[in-house]
Amino acid sequence: MFGSVLDAIVFFALTNSIVGWATLKFNFKWLCGVYSLAGLSIASVELYEISANAFSRPLEIPLNPMPFESYLRIDALSIFMSLTFILIGFFVTAYSIRFIESEGGAPLYYTSLLLMIAGMIGVVSAGDFFTFFIFWELMCISSYVLVSFRRQHWEPVEAGMKYLIMSSAGSAAILFALSLLYGLAGTLDFIRLADAMVNSRDIWIYAILMLTLLGFGVKSAIVPLHTWLPDAYSAAPSPISAILSGVVTETGIYALCRVLLTIFISLRAEWSMILAVLSIITMTFGNIVALLQVDLKRLLAYSSIGHIGYMLAGVATGTPLGLTGALLHIFNHALMKGNSFLCAGAFIYRIGGRRLDEIAGAGRRMPATATALGISLFALTGMPPLNGFISELTIFTSTIQAGMAWLGVCIILNSAISAGYVLRVIRALLQSTNEGESADIKEAPIVMLLPILLMAALVLLFGVWPDPALKLAMKAASTLVLKG
Amino acid sequence: MNMLDCYVMFSAILFIIGVYCLTTKRNIIRMILGIEILINAANLNFIVFSAFRAAGFIDPLGHSIVMVSVGLAGCVTAVALAITIHAYKHYGTIDIRKLSRLRG
Repeated sequence: MFGSVLDAIVFFALTNSIVGWATLKFNFKWLCGVYSLAGLSIASVELYEISANAFSRPLEIPLNPMPFESYLRIDALSIFMSLTFILIGFFVTAYSIRFIESEGGAPLYYTSLLLMIAGMIGVVSAGDFFTFFIFWELMCISSYVLVSFRRQHWEPVEAGMKYLIMSSAGSAAILFALSLLYGLAGTLDFIRLADAMVNSRDIWIYAILMLTLLGFGVKSAIVPLHTWLPDAYSAAPSPISAILSGVVTETGIYALCRVLLTIFISLRAEWSMILAVLSIITMTFGNIVALLQVDLKRLLAYSSIGHIGYMLAGVATGTPLGLTGALLHIFNHALMKGNSFLCAGAFIYRIGGRRLDEIAGAGRRMPATATALGISLFALTGMPPLNGFISELTIFTSTIQAGMAWLGVCIILNSAISAGYVLRVIRALLQSTNEGESADIKEAPIVMLLPILLMAALVLLFGVWPDPALKLAMKAASTLVLKG
Repeated sequence: MNMLDCYVMFSAILFIIGVYCLTTKRNIIRMILGIEILINAANLNFIVFSAFRAAGFIDPLGHSIVMVSVGLAGCVTAVALAITIHAYKHYGTIDIRKLSRLRG
């Protein structure tokens, strides 16, 4: 119905409840998680099979019963983003098997998780805004459910409420902008919109630009609209924080790229400046506020805001190199920030607290987790042999090429600021504490440790050997520019 | 002023009413209604544009979007009300100002 990749994930998501019933029958708690992992594996095999064709020529899958054109259009960019989503989804699902065991409600959890991944893949493979909006809402609705999943505590409920109100108001703004766009151009197809809007300087187009920036800005947490993010990330279960921070907010960045380079080509000078200013505000705010945090998950959440700023800087240049940098940073950030949240989750699982003074000295008790966290944290600051360096360097180079060197200087300064809070976390981990208090803390269980170590290995691997990711990102960025 | 302008102006006013409702109301249920008003403003726009696109022709795209969007709005409302019930259980009120133990 939606092409093989999406079909596989949606099928496994919807049948998860039946498997959940079987779980009760056979008393095997891990069944739902293993079943979801199988679904994601099948989806990744399908993705590999269509990728060879999609690279040479975009693959178009019409959604048949419609009386008008509505289709999925899978090109190199869709493949690149879907690969990131499935990779992070795989690690997060594997990690959740043990993490969610104690919470209960596993079938609902895995159904929402898989539907969220399906929504994101649908968003990046949509060929028109109608399909785009349906999958966008699928992603949003399942993320609301997942943020307030631990509903017996007050914190996730409050954070989920805040997230829902802000994000759905943003979605409504996007829908209103799409309706104006439909009135203006008479179509919602990306390619025909790009043709219709290439020279348009109608007064309505400014209203549409404002509404879309507002809508996608809420989802990707650009600074004046970021207030839901720290609460939602710190209140959600850790694997969900990992996938929200790693890929869901980045879907907002993708959508922003798609919209700006499809519809607003004629306003390039305007949005380039707006985004550059927003990017500086976002990264500076995120990094400076992260310095003040004492809660590990909140610290990582503010650091995500800072990294959204780096990606926006790449988008603001509007050049193929800048977009390559932004896309590569989406991939790298998903790995390193995802891993950081998973490590934070492992500390919460074993120690029960997440404040920096509570996890003090944990590095001595849980050396493998602490090493993985250290690697990803150093990657976040852009330290050379790790993957964050490559993408931040690409974005920096692109800002200089585009004649916006001041933006590049801000990125470098912010990297220096981010080293401040990263070193604080590392110091807390290595602190020596009383032997008696933490003596009974063991290393994280192997099912949780394995995804963490694998992701840390990938962070290292894509730092010393960035060629495959870089080439894929370049190809993806070149398909993003439809016109001009 | 032709009919199209009237309709679009009406939906723009509806959108502004929705934003007003979201920013000033304190009751969570009223805020959810505000979101519904925002979505309905967009839906009305789609119907108007699909009817006025060409004389004697109604574009099915606009109507299909409205159908789907009404369904999606229903899902969002369902999730929002479910969270509201849990918020009421924890806080004993549905005043959004009382839900401020977390600091943005």
